[in-house]
Amino acid sequence: MEDVLFRTRDICKEYPGTVALRGIDLEVRRGEIVGLVGENGAGKSTLLRIISCVEQPTSGSMEMRGEQFRGRNLLDANKKGVGMVFQEQSLMKNLSVAQNIYLGRERGFRRLGIVDWRRMNATGAKVLDSLGLKDISPAGKVLELDFATRQMVEIAKVLDIVGDSEEGCLILLDEPTSVLNDSEIRKLFEKIRIIARQSNSVIFVSHRLSEVIDISDRIYVFKDGRQTALLDKKDANEDVLYEKMVGRSTSGEYFKVGSQTEPGDDVVLEVRKLGLKGFFKDVNFRLRKKEVLGICGVVGSGKEEVCSVLCGDDRPDEGQIILDGEERRFSDPSDALKSGVLSVPKERREEGIIGGMSVAENISLSSMDAISRHRIISGRARMDRANDWIRKLNIKTPGPKESVATLSGGNAQKVVFARAIAGRNKVLILNHPTRGVDVGAKEEIYQLIREITEKGMSIVLLGDTLDETISLSSRIIVMKDGFVVAEMESPKDDKPSQFDIVRYMM
Amino acid sequence: MTMKTRMRAFVKNFPWLLLIALVAVFTAINPRFVGPISLGNIFMVAAPLLCLSLGATFVIMTGAIDLSVGAIVSASCVIYGTTFPALGNWSILAALGFGFFAGSVNGLLFTWLKIPSFIVTLAASALWRSLALILVGGGAKGIPMELWDGLKWADISIGIVPLLFLISLVAFGLYYFIQSKTALGRAIFAVGANERGARMLGLKVNSTKFWAFALSGAGCALAGAFYSIELKTSLATIGDPVTLLAIASVVIGGTPLTGGRGSVLRTLLGALLVVIIQNGLNTVAVDPYWQQIVFGAFTIFAVFLNSEKGGRVFIIK
Repeated sequence: MEDVLFRTRDICKEYPGTVALRGIDLEVRRGEIVGLVGENGAGKSTLLRIISCVEQPTSGSMEMRGEQFRGRNLLDANKKGVGMVFQEQSLMKNLSVAQNIYLGRERGFRRLGIVDWRRMNATGAKVLDSLGLKDISPAGKVLELDFATRQMVEIAKVLDIVGDSEEGCLILLDEPTSVLNDSEIRKLFEKIRIIARQSNSVIFVSHRLSEVIDISDRIYVFKDGRQTALLDKKDANEDVLYEKMVGRSTSGEYFKVGSQTEPGDDVVLEVRKLGLKGFFKDVNFRLRKKEVLGICGVVGSGKEEVCSVLCGDDRPDEGQIILDGEERRFSDPSDALKSGVLSVPKERREEGIIGGMSVAENISLSSMDAISRHRIISGRARMDRANDWIRKLNIKTPGPKESVATLSGGNAQKVVFARAIAGRNKVLILNHPTRGVDVGAKEEIYQLIREITEKGMSIVLLGDTLDETISLSSRIIVMKDGFVVAEMESPKDDKPSQFDIVRYMM
Repeated sequence: MTMKTRMRAFVKNFPWLLLIALVAVFTAINPRFVGPISLGNIFMVAAPLLCLSLGATFVIMTGAIDLSVGAIVSASCVIYGTTFPALGNWSILAALGFGFFAGSVNGLLFTWLKIPSFIVTLAASALWRSLALILVGGGAKGIPMELWDGLKWADISIGIVPLLFLISLVAFGLYYFIQSKTALGRAIFAVGANERGARMLGLKVNSTKFWAFALSGAGCALAGAFYSIELKTSLATIGDPVTLLAIASVVIGGTPLTGGRGSVLRTLLGALLVVIIQNGLNTVAVDPYWQQIVFGAFTIFAVFLNSEKGGRVFIIK
């Protein structure tokens, strides 16, 4: 019998409309580093949130140190020896290292109600020492440290909170390397190994497969909320992992591949040497009339930021955007809209709809000129157009005057599409166009995308899944670490496989 | 009916209930409260308050706040009064021009420099208040008596309704039209309800905010001119208490400070309520020193009624 520190039994997690995790049986041995890999949305982050008690599983149970493990929040998890280092760094940059480590736990250093900073620094130094971080000064401000060191401070903090290394504790690392460079990563891995040698265990999540193979003793592979494989370090290589992550594709019929539009010859949008400091550089591509251009890449590849620049939300530092042969510099999204470029944003509730307003108003907001003369709105024109779109897109709402906030995800998204199409724009940037949308509405949206490209619109697409991007696009570019690393055609009769693309992404 | 929907219905109808309750109470204490003199007086006092609350409503609907209302009113009052000997009733254009300019300065500083609106407008109000005091050389300066003939038109009443109140109703109609029938009006709601969304769907967020502030300035200017006409004086401190009254009119009417909801129609009701409370307190002989306490308390209570209580962070932009 192996010395198991933590295990989950048949963990399932359901959200309204989707199942995020099903039947997860994970086992972490004492002193072991376990890797977790999978595509975006495979369920890795959900599992980490469940283990750290930030979320509750729908069913299933967990065990820690041989006892039932359950908690209502992160603090409960910490008390029982589970600590989580979050993807976004949670340190207060304007406080010192020691102040950060003991944030919210200053009580222990109190004397007559006043914090004894010297004692806190001394204790903090010991904590840092135990991880071999002698060169970090506990009194120094966090903002003076580089990212790798901050990450180490964060880990030191979590380790100290869960404490009790006699018993062994479990540290969860969610994408700890995404902001680090190679030498920083090596430094980080060294420390992770030190933690594991002190009979603690680590769960390590990363998009970079080579890293996961490097640091982990065993690797779990997730796909669509299921665990599809468990590999020992010696059996793992990148190809095997890709294959397990990708699995089979959904049928072409679902994505209406048959009616994929043949792109025309005229270039509508061209991007030359586009760059945004810290996010992407040297991005070139051409978007032709009636084309769907898919951009693939993991989180942090720079694809989101390319979208932001294209729709005018961010201004590029270098390069050109050429629309219909003319160079454009969009000062903001309204400026881009004037030139006929509009986005369907990723966060529908925050960016796509105006919650307090009616369906009819939401539909007309991006094409006010069409329903008004001298900026005075014709209420009837607005209603007519709204009714038109409600019928055309089969939007299920009690009426055009209904508040858009009451609509389901799929119908709200159709309102967003109606708004985007109503203005007869040339280029649409679709950023996760089917996020949080049920299956039926998804199919209708796919059909709609085919129809609008047929009518002459061009689309830049960031799909919700890789499958979706491949099936909908007629051409695909792949981004990694801010650069375009591959470009390939994706005609309807010869779609590239997910495997072809994932190998460039990771 | 659940507790929540009952609460919501209560909040929605609160201004009307308050109006009815107050009229009943004040009339019971002093039956002359609903008499023609008292009502005419209410309309007279409500006219400038309505004008200056209209634009303030727009600003609040975008989610910002204008604390320079009172100062712009003071400066406009002074500008009207001091230019009257030269321009006659055309001074109204000077006042309106100034109000629009002062509002534009607020709008530009707020959108260009991205400074929170309460700071911009608080600082700007110091500027306009000084300007007002400098122009009259401190305190007040009357409009020369020989020119009073030129102001006679303002004393006209149609029945018990004074002409100035009718003009303020025309202004109300204009703001209501802007609010409900123009692209600007829709943009004001959209920006207030979801600024990020409004930006992403291609609305001009900055220009929307700019216009809300500019229109607020213009409304204040009209109110300032009214005070000058009524009092036949340039009074540099006339606006000092009205910033609170403006916010009170807006929130008691039921427009929440969080933006994205509300209406100038509600503000019309709110302004009348404020004046009725004021008038009622006078009728039942409450010391004016005590009245500010009442308005402060009412404003806080109205904001409380209209605020989201779901634990979401409350931010004024």
